[in-house]
Amino acid sequence: MQFSRDRGLALVALVLGLAVALVWVPLDSASGILEQSRRRVSVGDAAAPTLAALFIIIGALLLWIERVSDEVSALTWRNAVYLLWLTGVLGLALALMWGLGPLAARLWGAGEYRLLRDTAPWSQIGFLCGGTAMVAGLVGLVDGRLSGRGLALGLVSTMVLIALYDLPFDDILLPPNGDY
Amino acid sequence: MGALDYVLAGVAAVFLGPEMFSLFGLPVSLALAMVVLGFLTGILVGATPGLGGPMAMAISLPILISLFGYSADALLPVMGFLIGVMKGATVGGAVPAILFNTPGTADAFMTTLDGYPMTQRGQARKALKVAHVSSAAGDTFSDIVLIVCAPFLAIMIERFLDLPEKTALLLLSLSFIATVVGGSAGKGLIATGLGLLAAFVGTGEDFYPRLSFGTEALSQGFGPAAVFLGVLIVGELFRGIEDLWREKARSGQVTQYDLSGDQSLGWADLRRLAPHIGRSALIGTAIGALPGIGSSLAATLGYTVAKARHKPGAGDPKMGEGAPEGVAATEAANSAVSGANLIPVLSLGIPGNVAAVFLILAAESIGGFTPGPSVFRFTETAVNPELVIAFGLFTMMMLANLMNWTVGGVFMRSLGFLVRVPRQLLLPVVLLLTLTSIYVETPRFEVILFTLGFGVLGYLMRRVGMSPLPFVIAYILGGRLEETARQAFAATGADPFFLFNRPVALALMVLALLVIVWSVRPKGEAS
Repeated sequence: MQFSRDRGLALVALVLGLAVALVWVPLDSASGILEQSRRRVSVGDAAAPTLAALFIIIGALLLWIERVSDEVSALTWRNAVYLLWLTGVLGLALALMWGLGPLAARLWGAGEYRLLRDTAPWSQIGFLCGGTAMVAGLVGLVDGRLSGRGLALGLVSTMVLIALYDLPFDDILLPPNGDY
Repeated sequence: MGALDYVLAGVAAVFLGPEMFSLFGLPVSLALAMVVLGFLTGILVGATPGLGGPMAMAISLPILISLFGYSADALLPVMGFLIGVMKGATVGGAVPAILFNTPGTADAFMTTLDGYPMTQRGQARKALKVAHVSSAAGDTFSDIVLIVCAPFLAIMIERFLDLPEKTALLLLSLSFIATVVGGSAGKGLIATGLGLLAAFVGTGEDFYPRLSFGTEALSQGFGPAAVFLGVLIVGELFRGIEDLWREKARSGQVTQYDLSGDQSLGWADLRRLAPHIGRSALIGTAIGALPGIGSSLAATLGYTVAKARHKPGAGDPKMGEGAPEGVAATEAANSAVSGANLIPVLSLGIPGNVAAVFLILAAESIGGFTPGPSVFRFTETAVNPELVIAFGLFTMMMLANLMNWTVGGVFMRSLGFLVRVPRQLLLPVVLLLTLTSIYVETPRFEVILFTLGFGVLGYLMRRVGMSPLPFVIAYILGGRLEETARQAFAATGADPFFLFNRPVALALMVLALLVIVWSVRPKGEAS
């Protein structure tokens, strides 16, 4: 069972390695493996990534032939379900973190967010709500339901982080303020 | 400057550096205070299941850089804190293993075999004392070996290895780490290839940043913080959260065991334990000096050797049933790895474990210190500041050991309550803290997305049984490998066979090949 699962992984790695070496690197590098300008030959930008691809290909071939009698470890549909939940929770939290500050500033008519990115409370709204959502969402994911405990923990931990990073340092920007 | 002057300058840089406060009229330097603070933090996080030294190092680094900035004066306080965390976490890791049979790290698993039975017999305090003494002894021994060996090794490398040999040495290191870490050479090589690929995105010598798909986001490459923290920390958090998600029905009750009988650790006990501690310290140091093997193997080997040599008296427990010798052998071996692991870092610039990765990240972030053979240039006419810093690091390591011998044990034994912190509450907070730390260091939202992407990669690697360590080490060495190879190619007059027509380089390449061939030989049973 372990052998066939590892062979599946080997196949994926082999395709990836070949795609990198034969498609991505040649199409996305300005110079080849070796470059000649006038009479001087030098190593081009494609050489190092090709070596990386070679490592992947050799690894895939070894994985195909080697037998590892270690404990079985492989991906299952449960991992995929978990990753979907995780992506949903983190995606929602990061969306709140990114957009809530500018949205609040616009709704309140406080002005352009770029000028408010270092001014409380505008600079902290997105982080506070997004961070709380992230912690509460992940606690809820484990518990199987959203709880007051998770929300309280999220709120307290984001407030502690604001106190730790934002209040004592003038030159530090909390997410997402550095992007505005 | 002579060799002794450099040693004294390193010691002075730690004790006479910028002052933080004064105690009884004596100035206490920032570096000294940060070692103490880091050490206590390390024990605290080591004793908390679900956390660990690397996680604490990752989170604290941006805070430290915000506090101390990027000046040359920042290097010793920041590195001092990280060294303190590294050493404290090693000792602290024994607490949950002994008291609650919950090893916080893989290394501490072997400690549970005898530590927890000792707790069940009412000897928890004694078990913690044995763990502390053994850990401090192993760690100190390994640091002494580091201080003695690293400069000589570095000097030898600088003297005997030219550019082609250095290129071959880097390739040998990569193949060694790829094949030795984890149970599969194939998976190790795939992880190494992926790590190299990540290092080469957005870099190169041409005007166009290679492998960037022409996008602005990728043209700046993946920063080390996003890669290290993503694969090592976020990946581990994702796995931990999933484990909890699956086990949510499990009861979290912790059984309490009361203390009973003699808890002291007398000279007679120490005499009995000393051979086991000594043997394990040697095993741990030897294994730690080889990059990438790690403390889990050291702990297993130390325990196995101790078990073979253990002859319990009448009425004494056997190994695995609560023998102090088991705790001593395991803790001495895994603690001895930490110092020796810095031998390849300081002499070759090759990180041997996750903690070393964060020390390199700190050095790279602040600047002014590039771990590698060039550090140990004993220049006589001009001062080599990197060498002064290296001796400053050694001084701080010995200071942390002194802390370990004095207050470490008492502090460690007072932290048993931390095991009751629920992991499902702890891990999401650590994730938010990690992402915030990364953004604070590099204020671009895409870096958070990269980190999460690398976190998913780290999670997938763990789930398919692929160690993330070769990935990270390949990422670190990728740039240097390319630069050295380019220079070697140019220096040998564009000779495409520069790795094979010089005897030392050829020998290293043959060794790299042999390591791979040896690792895929048919095995009788699991390693």
